[in-house]
Amino acid sequence: MPEPRKKVRQNHLTLAQKILSVALDQGLRKGDHLPEQSFSDACGVSRTPIRSAFRLLEERDILEWRADEGYFLALDSAEDVSMTIRALEDAEHSIAHQILSDRAERRIGAVQSASALMRRYKAPRTAVLNALKILSNDGLVRQLPGRAWAFQPMIDSPDAIEESLDFRITMERQAVLAPDFVLDSQRAGLLREQMNSFLNTPQGGVTPAGFRRIDIEFHTLVAECSGNRFLRGSLTAHHRLRQASQKIAPSPEFRLRQAMIEHLEILDSLERKQFELAADQLVVHLRRSRIRKPQAANRGIPPLAKGPRP
Amino acid sequence: MRPSPEIAFFPEASFGAALNCVGIAQELQKLGATPVFICHPGFTGVFAEYGFKEFHLPESPSSSDESIADYWQDFTNTHVPHFNLDPLAQLDTYVEPTWKAIVDTAIAVEDDLARLLAQIRPDAVVLDNVIMFPAIARAGCPWIRIVSCAETEIPDPAVPPYLSGLAPENKAEAAAYSEAYETVTAAVHRRYNSFRKKQGLPPLPAPLFLENSPVLNLLLAPSVVRYERKTPLPEDRFVFLEGCVRHESHFEMPRLPVSDGPLVYVGFGSLGAVDTGMMKRMIDVFEGIQARFLVNVGAMSEAYERVPDNVHLGSWFPQPSVIEQADLVIHHGGNNTFCEALFHGVPSLVLPYCWDGHDNAQRAETVEVGRHINRANWTADSLRSAIIETLTDTAMRQKLKKVSGKMQQNRGTEQAARKILGALNGNSIAP
Repeated sequence: MPEPRKKVRQNHLTLAQKILSVALDQGLRKGDHLPEQSFSDACGVSRTPIRSAFRLLEERDILEWRADEGYFLALDSAEDVSMTIRALEDAEHSIAHQILSDRAERRIGAVQSASALMRRYKAPRTAVLNALKILSNDGLVRQLPGRAWAFQPMIDSPDAIEESLDFRITMERQAVLAPDFVLDSQRAGLLREQMNSFLNTPQGGVTPAGFRRIDIEFHTLVAECSGNRFLRGSLTAHHRLRQASQKIAPSPEFRLRQAMIEHLEILDSLERKQFELAADQLVVHLRRSRIRKPQAANRGIPPLAKGPRP
Repeated sequence: MRPSPEIAFFPEASFGAALNCVGIAQELQKLGATPVFICHPGFTGVFAEYGFKEFHLPESPSSSDESIADYWQDFTNTHVPHFNLDPLAQLDTYVEPTWKAIVDTAIAVEDDLARLLAQIRPDAVVLDNVIMFPAIARAGCPWIRIVSCAETEIPDPAVPPYLSGLAPENKAEAAAYSEAYETVTAAVHRRYNSFRKKQGLPPLPAPLFLENSPVLNLLLAPSVVRYERKTPLPEDRFVFLEGCVRHESHFEMPRLPVSDGPLVYVGFGSLGAVDTGMMKRMIDVFEGIQARFLVNVGAMSEAYERVPDNVHLGSWFPQPSVIEQADLVIHHGGNNTFCEALFHGVPSLVLPYCWDGHDNAQRAETVEVGRHINRANWTADSLRSAIIETLTDTAMRQKLKKVSGKMQQNRGTEQAARKILGALNGNSIAP
């Protein structure tokens, strides 16, 4: 059965985001050519959807079409490209995304009614209920008895970030060790290319957003390949929550590159089916990422490691 | 000396000094040296994230996360009210207890520091602190002093007293302040000198706690804010740096429901962030201004329940990259933040609460690169006006553009790294 038009457009939007992410990782600049075949390889799809996504990007003045030559990047800087990726993300899940982002930023409270959200986003009830349904399917909100909706805890403070890493250290290790872990080799191969491309970017050229995209995709892959359905569910929902958070501070470039090398080493072990080793490497990787700066420091005083008690 | 000289940085346990040293270490690494860091407990991993090897001073056996949290709670309860006092009134309430704590720390870490230095066997030690550690003088290699506080830390009759917040022309107040400072710090200074004596170091004249390096002293004081000294510092041992701004990850603006208007960065250091009452009052004012505000709330993000649409709260920002994109910085006068704002040509609104913040607030206003706001008596209207007037002050912006151009042409981090290596090689360090 053919896909409905809206769904097809949605897929093209997702692919368009991916194309721009690859362009960003490859350090492409204004006027650089985007060969269909290489983007088809990098995104793991045939050239037909690539062409449609290119057309969509052309409609938005992100790419430029030149007869007999193909598509060329029309944006000036890496920043413009990352802003555009975000704009596409927003278009994808506009209200759901805004609701989640506003909650993560503490612009709206932990319990909301559909009416309050309709007023805030100037949206009809059906649109708000659809957005809440999207968030509910991801386990990010739940409907309370009556008309209220309650948000799950967000990753919105240094202590929450630390608890998120504690949770992942336990669960991601188990996800790999669970019987019947099967690595999706095609996705792993694509991710490996993106990781290598990230590492090959000249010094000073990598972006935290580029790292974050690959990082979440990699850890989601690990979760989705687990043989344990409950670990799979909990971890993928948690990674969606991570995606919504803007509170995770970017690490210095040295650590971003080091963490990307750790991803590759874990992938190596998973591909060799050395699951014990991969699980240990995951723990080391997450522990290294868990290093947190002192919460407060002043001359003469021992630095405060953790935030104030609730 | 090794082919790649090993330079041990020992910054005090504050972000300003730590990150200032990171900037210089990044440049030393490019020049082929091997910078390493001696870390206070709590800073573990901060330097490793930038790719530097760390050596750790052990935690005191009696300290635990719990006891340190209690300490900070007491510190906050005691000192937040003192932050609204003027510099003279802070001498008894804040400056003296802080010096006591600094001397306690210096005494406590002495043996461990000596042990670490014997393990590292560096070719030079770079000390970015306000007090001398005898182990450094005895390390058997040259040591270099970084003054990452305001220039007032090195006294001169024509320079206002350290931490006074006074202008050079306030001679009478300066004399009274200096006298009060010496009186208040006399007991802790005697204690420190007796510690030095036991460790084989000569005493220091009151009220100094740190001597100048016989080899090289680097002052984080861009020319726009420098004082005309009565006795110029000898150029063969003293180098003024045009800022000291490290390379950081690019900061990507978070999505805000309000997506236009000038960008204002607000950061009062991790210590200033504990005053959540003041920060909430400020955020209420920000809500009514057509601008976007990035607010560094440090450890206290849980304290904020309602955040306006034009405000983003964060517990950590890669500050140089944020300030580069900002139109205004509202800060406490920390020397590193102040210099980063000057480096990127961004005006400052300074609300100092302690230490050299007072000196930088006075200097920013005097040399017209920012404004000084008294944190004790601002109102919503006065703060709003100050923000809008500073954002639209084209004369200040033009001046800052020139300041920034000069600083970026003479990057302090590169200059510091070259001077450190030059000093090791016995070359002249004169500019």
